[in-house]
Amino acid sequence: MHPDEIVINDYADDALTPAERADVERHLAGCAQCRALVDDLGEIRRVAASLEQREAPVRAWSRIERAIQLEAANRAAEDRTRGVLPNAVIARLKSSRAIRLGLAAAAVLVLATAVGLRLLPRAARSGAPGSPPAAVMSSDAAQIEAELRQAEAHYERAIQGLEQIANAEKGALDPQTAATLQKNLSVIDQAISESRAALRAEPTSEPAQQSLIDSFKSKMGLLQDTVALINDMRRGNEAGAARIVSGPKPKG
Amino acid sequence: MTAPKQRPVLPFPSKDPAGEPTSEGMDLVARSQTGDVQAFEAIYRQHAGRLYTLACRMAGSAEDGEDLLQEIFLQAYRKLGSFKGDSSLGTWLYRLALNHCLDYVRSRHAKMSKLTDTLDADASYQPTARRDTPIARLDLERALERLPDGCREAFVLHDVEGFDHKEVGRLLGIAEGTSKSQVFKARAKLRALLR
Repeated sequence: MHPDEIVINDYADDALTPAERADVERHLAGCAQCRALVDDLGEIRRVAASLEQREAPVRAWSRIERAIQLEAANRAAEDRTRGVLPNAVIARLKSSRAIRLGLAAAAVLVLATAVGLRLLPRAARSGAPGSPPAAVMSSDAAQIEAELRQAEAHYERAIQGLEQIANAEKGALDPQTAATLQKNLSVIDQAISESRAALRAEPTSEPAQQSLIDSFKSKMGLLQDTVALINDMRRGNEAGAARIVSGPKPKG
Repeated sequence: MTAPKQRPVLPFPSKDPAGEPTSEGMDLVARSQTGDVQAFEAIYRQHAGRLYTLACRMAGSAEDGEDLLQEIFLQAYRKLGSFKGDSSLGTWLYRLALNHCLDYVRSRHAKMSKLTDTLDADASYQPTARRDTPIARLDLERALERLPDGCREAFVLHDVEGFDHKEVGRLLGIAEGTSKSQVFKARAKLRALLR
């Protein structure tokens, strides 16, 4: 009778007591099949321990660098928006019902987008062992693309509405503030263009999808902050405006 | 409200010396924290190969390994401030990467409801005739990708990365005996695949 699986593996791992080891060796002396198994297990262990390091794909760093730059640009845009609008600008703003309505409409669109966007988990799309068959993967990829396009349309409509509101009040901003706002928007627009280009090359790339959505969110955030500021000032809510200009309260 | 579960400090594989923090590593970290992307790229160039290799083997595919590599380095960039130089930068990055890979495989297990103990009949323990040729590394790498989730991670951590069964059990949240059983099943499956 052959020793059981655990005993044979423990023998190969040198994890048996001397007495147990002696028992196995007595069996091995007369069993060529078990000797072959022990030899194979030893070889698998030896080769596994000596596997070589792989080279990371060349494109990997550029993807990481782009993501870092995008993250930094988003953060900088956020900081600049919160820190740059001077009190002098706030003082010149007046109340407007149209702005409040526009902001509410955009908020509804953002909510719809947040609820509607359900990107599938990566594992469901990967070619990993045990993944769904190719036909299912293809159907998933098509669904992801459709959902992304839908989310993109939501964001674009919301951004368009906010831009109209912000542009209508452009004159209320001093030149320095308007220039900074424009510069920040350009950085985000550039990020959106790059994400779209990456998606054209790799339509199911999760980082590219996430990057595009993050860029839309950044643009929405920048425009929403600007419009909310204008809105509060027009309603005479100086406390609210001051809160927006000074940024969010620290947590804790 | 309950307190968040504390993540245990990860061990480092015994076959790999943890190493001491170097002034070069500390300098690159300090420069990266000020937004010097070139310094962070230097960190990436030094450590990407090892972490990519770990990610590919843990995830079971090069495609997922590449995604994990990106996530690992983005997380590292965000968390550089928490690197205090208590260990080498390589050790810190390895732990971060291993944590990320473990989170990924746990999440994939949950999503895919994969069974870790369902091996094909041909993988069961059966003494067979000895193979005539030695196992090539490349063949083993390919066979690794065909292992079921669960036993692949245990095998990679034990036989490739050099953790002992107690550490593997801790990392994967399974009993030490289960780690042994998973590694043995993986070896049996590999033997069948490489025959």
